[in-house]
Amino acid sequence: MKKDKIGDPLSRIDGRLKVTGGAKYSGEYKLPGLTYGVLVSATIPCGTVSSMDIQAAGKAPGVLAVITPFNAPKVPGYQPGAARPVRGLKLFNDDKVYFNGQPIALVVAETFERATYAASLVKATYKAEPFETDFHKNFDKGVIPNEGRYKDYVRGEADAYKKAPVVVEQDYMLPSEMHNPMELHVTTAFWDGDDKVTLYTKSQGVIGSQRSIANAFGLEVANVQINSRFVGGAFGSSLRTWPHEVAAVQAARLVKRPVKLTLTREQMFTLVGYRPLTIQRIGLGATTDGKLMGITHESHSQTAVYEEFTENAVNVSRFLYASPNANTRYKVVPLNVGVPTPMRGPGEATGSFALESALDELSYKLNIDPIELRLKNYTDMDPERNLPWSSKFLKECYQLGAERIGWEKRPTKPGMQRDGDWMVGYGLGCGAFGAYRSKTQVRIKLTPDGSVNIQTATSDIGPGTGTAMTLIAADILGIPAERISFELGNSAFPVAPTQGGSQTVSSVGSAVHDVCIALKQKLNTLAGLPADNTAEIEYATILQRLNLPSLELTQESQSGEEARKYSMYSFSAHFAQVHVHSLTGIVRVKRLVAVVDGGKIVNHKTASSQMIGGAVGGIGMALTEEAIFDDRFGRYVNGNLADYHVPVNADAPDIEAIFIDKPDPIINPIGTKGLGEISLIGVAAAVANAVFNATGKRIRDLPITPDKVLMT
Amino acid sequence: MSKRRNAPPEGKDLLKGSRRDFLKQSSLLSAAALTPGTLIRAANEQWDEKVADAFEKLPLNLEVNGVKYSVNVEPRVTLLDLLREQLNLTGSKKGCDRGQCGACTVHVNGVRINSCLSLALCNEGKKVTTIEGLAKGDVLHPMQEAFIKHDGFQCGYCTSGQIMSAVALVKEGRTQSPGEISEFMSGNICRCGAYSNIVKAIQEVKNSQS
Amino acid sequence: MNPFQYTRSSAASGAIQSLVKEPQAHFLAGGTNLIDLIKMGVLRPERLVDINALPLRGIEAIAGGLRIGALASNSEVADHPLVLQDYPLLAQAINAGASPQLRNMATVGGNIMQRTRCNYFFDTAMPCNKRSPGSGCGALDGYNRMHALFGASEKCIAVNPSDMNVALTALEAVVHVKGPKRDRKIAFSDFHRLPGDHPEKDNTLERTELIISVDLPANSFNRHVHYLKVRDRTSFAFALISVAAALDLEGDKIKGARLAMGGVAHKPWRLHGAEAFLLGKTSGEDVFRQAARIAMQGAKAYKYNQFKLTLAPNAILQALKTASSLG
Repeated sequence: MKKDKIGDPLSRIDGRLKVTGGAKYSGEYKLPGLTYGVLVSATIPCGTVSSMDIQAAGKAPGVLAVITPFNAPKVPGYQPGAARPVRGLKLFNDDKVYFNGQPIALVVAETFERATYAASLVKATYKAEPFETDFHKNFDKGVIPNEGRYKDYVRGEADAYKKAPVVVEQDYMLPSEMHNPMELHVTTAFWDGDDKVTLYTKSQGVIGSQRSIANAFGLEVANVQINSRFVGGAFGSSLRTWPHEVAAVQAARLVKRPVKLTLTREQMFTLVGYRPLTIQRIGLGATTDGKLMGITHESHSQTAVYEEFTENAVNVSRFLYASPNANTRYKVVPLNVGVPTPMRGPGEATGSFALESALDELSYKLNIDPIELRLKNYTDMDPERNLPWSSKFLKECYQLGAERIGWEKRPTKPGMQRDGDWMVGYGLGCGAFGAYRSKTQVRIKLTPDGSVNIQTATSDIGPGTGTAMTLIAADILGIPAERISFELGNSAFPVAPTQGGSQTVSSVGSAVHDVCIALKQKLNTLAGLPADNTAEIEYATILQRLNLPSLELTQESQSGEEARKYSMYSFSAHFAQVHVHSLTGIVRVKRLVAVVDGGKIVNHKTASSQMIGGAVGGIGMALTEEAIFDDRFGRYVNGNLADYHVPVNADAPDIEAIFIDKPDPIINPIGTKGLGEISLIGVAAAVANAVFNATGKRIRDLPITPDKVLMT
Repeated sequence: MSKRRNAPPEGKDLLKGSRRDFLKQSSLLSAAALTPGTLIRAANEQWDEKVADAFEKLPLNLEVNGVKYSVNVEPRVTLLDLLREQLNLTGSKKGCDRGQCGACTVHVNGVRINSCLSLALCNEGKKVTTIEGLAKGDVLHPMQEAFIKHDGFQCGYCTSGQIMSAVALVKEGRTQSPGEISEFMSGNICRCGAYSNIVKAIQEVKNSQS
Repeated sequence: MNPFQYTRSSAASGAIQSLVKEPQAHFLAGGTNLIDLIKMGVLRPERLVDINALPLRGIEAIAGGLRIGALASNSEVADHPLVLQDYPLLAQAINAGASPQLRNMATVGGNIMQRTRCNYFFDTAMPCNKRSPGSGCGALDGYNRMHALFGASEKCIAVNPSDMNVALTALEAVVHVKGPKRDRKIAFSDFHRLPGDHPEKDNTLERTELIISVDLPANSFNRHVHYLKVRDRTSFAFALISVAAALDLEGDKIKGARLAMGGVAHKPWRLHGAEAFLLGKTSGEDVFRQAARIAMQGAKAYKYNQFKLTLAPNAILQALKTASSLG
């Protein structure tokens, strides 16, 4: 019998559906009586809607409803004293406008065209109030977040770097970046009576969505059905339930028909989060032979006035390098903007850009090779938590990456290597991201034909979750992958965590692993064998012999005490080779080698793709991506895919993903640590450091566009 | 439910009735001089749905994936929305609706275009091929096979457009080097970043044909 | 999109008459720009007159040059053997613009008429004199990184976004148009206008006039040419600066030069002074550098596009170097 093993390069189990157009995403279900919802956005950044003229819109052909703050049916979870309150913006609940682009009306009509046109007929008058969207102007209004874990951190002495013989102290800026998944955010909702609702919605976590919608409408959780089988990318933008999803449900209840509410690409710049604009100050102090004596990492990032967003921007500086002294400060600046949300690599990617750039600056000051500098400050235990690592192979990452990129060809002085009119440089950037594992339930069902069905309410936003899970099950059960069907993206399935924070394989994979072992044990017992029998058994025969129609098991898996005893992280080292054109300032990433210690790799094929994809995202962060505000109006001026530059095919170089592929012995039974975030964390610094190596120009505010190269 | 022409902003009654009295049809329909003003009035003044339809919709004949369709569409309906919302061919994707992402790429008379910027009516008498029309029954097109083999996608949302572009690209002969492939595939954005795998898939198809 | 009526036209005169009759009617060709503008609410036409069936797709040699029908697609032009042979600069410029799919749809006539990509023009919630005369120029004191260096006015500092137009300017194309009363020819450099007090007018074409063809006069700029486009990503982005450079060389000696820039003005910007300077000179980096300096005379930058004062001359230098095969 063909054996599929963990680690094999298995093609995606849903590949055929995706290459034939057969994969259905949330906006593609043809429901009887389907109607279309289109949002109307505010054109001021702060104030109140004083009146709205919806007559023209209401009279327009095919219009079924125009929902505004003045007529919207109340959403129970939005009301003061709600038993299960909904966090964030409460759309149409009052007349307040907190940011430019905030929806102030929802038009529902028979067709998309009619809804869109009618939406353009909605007129609002405002009472405008003073607003602030200028991050730089409001920098000093930064506050320490309410949540306790964001208070200042000090190990040893604060700001000790200042006393060191060699000091780097610099500011680094990262603009707001948009997730921009290719699929538009969409929710299709319909009610069954007054207490049951079904959604097809773009979600990274159907269980989370289910609870949010239940809370908003005061429903039994079981009466909310969420379907999100295919998700057209998300990168964090679908981690939470957004106000427009609640609005779609609200509208469906009102018109008593299914409502499909699709955001426009332009609306996605304000309504589904983003990586926030951040300024970081790094202080590094070292001895003349390169031992760090102090690290200080401060960060200010923007958040919304109506909701506080926080992320781990500064944390990396507490543990990645050995230093007797380290301290971090983290503040957020509330502005009249939409609320940010974690974007791939989230704060860790932001923080790593600053720390890894500063370390590169220090290496030139010290005249020490950047790899050697990192090795001099390597730490075999987590200095923040004073715990051993569950596993760490970052040294191996340095070594493999250096060999692969040809690090020995890197000029030790910047601006020394040329290829015609192009300057050539090499750079290194490292990253770390917590390896998490959450409680997960999985149901498995064996039928007498020998096929196995596995269900769990996880999601797949692109990494190939179902494929990885199929491999794990095939390996444990010792059957070919073709015999296994894996289902996800349905809230009726056993509870699984949201797909975020690189934890899916660790969490869901462990549960699949465990349930498969439990199934084997059960079968052994049924067959009269010892439960731990390892000899091959023919599953189907046992069921047939016992005349069982099927055998079904549901198992819950979770971590134990290990998270308290060990520090668990994935690590990465990204190596970039860039060419910079001397006259035009154009930067081309020619090669990128991503080496990752992400524990055991379940599927080499999809894991490589995930790494390559993260690297492309990192190239975007380094070179092209920036959402730009006009602070006079508090509006984005480049809120579309022509002017916000997601990397295109021609921006992507030859990218090589290399895995250490050593199982972590602590975190979970398979030994996986996670890849999604680490694939991006460190890339931007690698590119920026390579640009410096090529040109001698240190560009500390991203993205590194031709103008900055030329004018620095 | 009665029709409401002047909904007060704070009115509780949000719902409009289904379109109502079949009004003045003969006189209106015979007034064949459909000036644009008439059309917009028909729309905005809520003439009866059937009358409005007669004003708003025009007949369209086209062939999609070998199937002939005769439909009535409003002039403002794009080819993409016709495919997705009316013909239930949702393989072609909407990622920006402005020709900025390539997810909607289809072939019209064998040429790749952005269907989001093409009015459906501009395709009268034309042959449209979408991702659904690429495979021959159960046999995938070589480009589809190559995308699976080289993992040229992750979330799958841009994939239809990528494959339609890639098939056209090979026909256009823009496959002389990885650089040329990349340049001429740059109208198809992939946020998952599967670009290098897409290039490999295209190279394989190109090499198998030469 | 607002509701509009749609008619297919089978003759140019009929199409033109439709526009004469209806002040809110527009010609529809490739639609890549027009449909976008309607979706964004920048234009609200009452009728679109589909001219795609008009017999204006041909590309043919004519006495003294090449005639390109107004409805020839950008791809058809860029791939045409006569264009590649005699006007490779045009092929390069077209292929530097947009994406293959858009180039398959976009027509030559439509590309000539392409409206600015100024973000304030596209966002109806912000001021723009071009979209809404009298509302003010959002870019003047706003985010003007992409904006003009030459020939702007207080009313408008937008730039023409077309790559093709830059090459057509350098190649001294002639636009043939048909009007309700008469036909006429417009020299390419006279086709687009500077914004002055009327930025709402992009060009000198009357609303009811239809572009029939673009004629390229024969020239000897078919060997040493280069279209350089500097942009924020490697492909599928509008120009920060673009340069169309063509040299007629005899050995090192410059017998003729054509230079134009994109991304710097409300119209494709011909560099006459630099061309005149290059005439008779020996090609070389210093000479090119001087030509670039001459080209930049009179340039005026705004808050966010100061870098163009450095990038533009560098791009001219690089384009001339590549065109002359110096590297």
